[in-house]
Amino acid sequence: MTDLSVSVSSNAHLASQQPLPEAPAKVTVRNLNFYYGEHHALKNINLALGTNRVTAFIGPSGCGKSTLLRIFNRMYDLYPGQRVTGQLMLDQTNILDPKLDLNLLRARVGMVFQKPTPFPMTIYENIAFGIRLYEKISKSEMDDRVEKALRGGALWNEVKDKLNASGLSLSGGQQQRLCIARTVAVRPEVILFDEPCSALDPISTAKVEELIQELSENYTIAIVTHNMQQAARVSDKTAFMYLGELIEFDDTSKIFTSPTDRRTQDYITGRFG
Amino acid sequence: MAVQSDVIDDAGPYDRAKALSAFKLGDVTFYWITRLSAISVLLILGGIILSLIVGAFPAMKEYGFAFLWTQRWAPSADPPVLGALGPMYGTLVTSFIAMLIAIPVGLGIAIFLTELCPQWLRRPIGMAVELLAGIPSIIYGMWGFFVLGPFLANTFQPFMIKIFDGVPVLGAIFAGPPSYLSLFNAALILAIMVLPFITSISVDVFKTVPPVLKEAAYGVGCTTWEVVRSVVIPYTRVGIIGGVMLALGRALGETMAVTFIIGNSFRISSSIFAPGTTISAAIASEFAESDGLHQSGLILLGLLLFVLTFFVLAGARLMLLRLEKKAGK
Repeated sequence: MTDLSVSVSSNAHLASQQPLPEAPAKVTVRNLNFYYGEHHALKNINLALGTNRVTAFIGPSGCGKSTLLRIFNRMYDLYPGQRVTGQLMLDQTNILDPKLDLNLLRARVGMVFQKPTPFPMTIYENIAFGIRLYEKISKSEMDDRVEKALRGGALWNEVKDKLNASGLSLSGGQQQRLCIARTVAVRPEVILFDEPCSALDPISTAKVEELIQELSENYTIAIVTHNMQQAARVSDKTAFMYLGELIEFDDTSKIFTSPTDRRTQDYITGRFG
Repeated sequence: MAVQSDVIDDAGPYDRAKALSAFKLGDVTFYWITRLSAISVLLILGGIILSLIVGAFPAMKEYGFAFLWTQRWAPSADPPVLGALGPMYGTLVTSFIAMLIAIPVGLGIAIFLTELCPQWLRRPIGMAVELLAGIPSIIYGMWGFFVLGPFLANTFQPFMIKIFDGVPVLGAIFAGPPSYLSLFNAALILAIMVLPFITSISVDVFKTVPPVLKEAAYGVGCTTWEVVRSVVIPYTRVGIIGGVMLALGRALGETMAVTFIIGNSFRISSSIFAPGTTISAAIASEFAESDGLHQSGLILLGLLLFVLTFFVLAGARLMLLRLEKKAGK
């Protein structure tokens, strides 16, 4: 199993690891259906995100990967006409409970977007902003937290001398790491990455991937990606989705070496998508 | 080769150089038309300033800088005594109060429309705001005169006096005999008149905030209020201030409605419920019957309004620059 995966991955030492043992589920999805108005976008999804594991979602554009991700933190709630049925649990919390405090949920389930989204404020404030929403802490504690978050985002050494510069003044890759640091600063339990590297150059991509690996020691991670190598490099489990259905969900090494479904094989070998 | 040239001959005489020169002529014409249009703006602006200065010159010579801090306005005295302090004060105070009311309300409407409003309510409210902008100012004046004025004088002012009577500064602001015509009445009408400017521009710029940026803010656990305050407003700061400046320009210069309801009194009173006047109201109500030095004084008032507006707008720009510096741009 492992020897074959090397051929798929360009980052052999990561993918050639033995699959990690099964982790207890952090997020459990059962019979999930999602509708954009009349359009049935997700059909009967069942899967679980393992605690402190990286789960990758792959599939052609429009297959529902991002849609699924946006259900995990109820982001779809911002838009009228979108609804969901089924069951979605974060530990013992029912994410789909209409009475759930969404702000609290989103503090527990952080999200990093395709395009870097620094807030229109200084680098320091970008981090401190999220922390301040939920915690009243002193200036020196805040300084510590900001430094820790920026170190966590592998950005500290590049920005420590210009914390008061605008977050928008950073390069694209730095902005994305700032967004990751900002997400980490709130101390979430789950982090969702929606194609986090699609707007980045290869070096920034490598940095972000490394970061995702490190983060998986403490966080449960879900990542949507169009880059198969990336999925192979960073994830423990991979879900292949097609036309709103979950086709196959298994250990990453298994998906990329011996997929059971014909469509999965076609997709990962580049025959469609 | 021969065949080819035949084909070209069949297509008629084709002179590349001639076609090019025709293009060139078009380009030159286009260039000059646009250039003249742009220059005409400068000419018109310069001409207005120049004619104002020429018209105001006799008054400038007569009163000098004392014009700025003389409160007395007695055009029928001999020689006439003219001072701009009263109208200047009225202009600034009414505009200030108007903005104080219109900015929060206008932004509030814009935030509600873009962030919170259910879809079905969006169009009616949006259209109501646009209609508000379409009402001619004389109608606001009449409404202020017949409806708002009596209400303010009979109900609102006594209420405020009851609350603030005896309080040092605030007591004086609300004191005085009730009057249908007052600075505050004019300020309220101005606030209603500039509201659509602030709202519609804010709505437009709020719509330019990338959804993903808002999602990111919601994503770290922000409430709608926090998203608006920390992301939407900072992101659209420049546009909002542009809308506010436009509204302020309108408020400073608005004439008809204000002339109707401000009372045209040149005396400065500490109370905002006392009658007053603004520069444009003073000019509008006296210009037709003026001559000589009086008329020149009114033109000088107009020039002052010009300068005042310029400084207020320049001040707003300066504020914008400082804000940007603070945000670390």
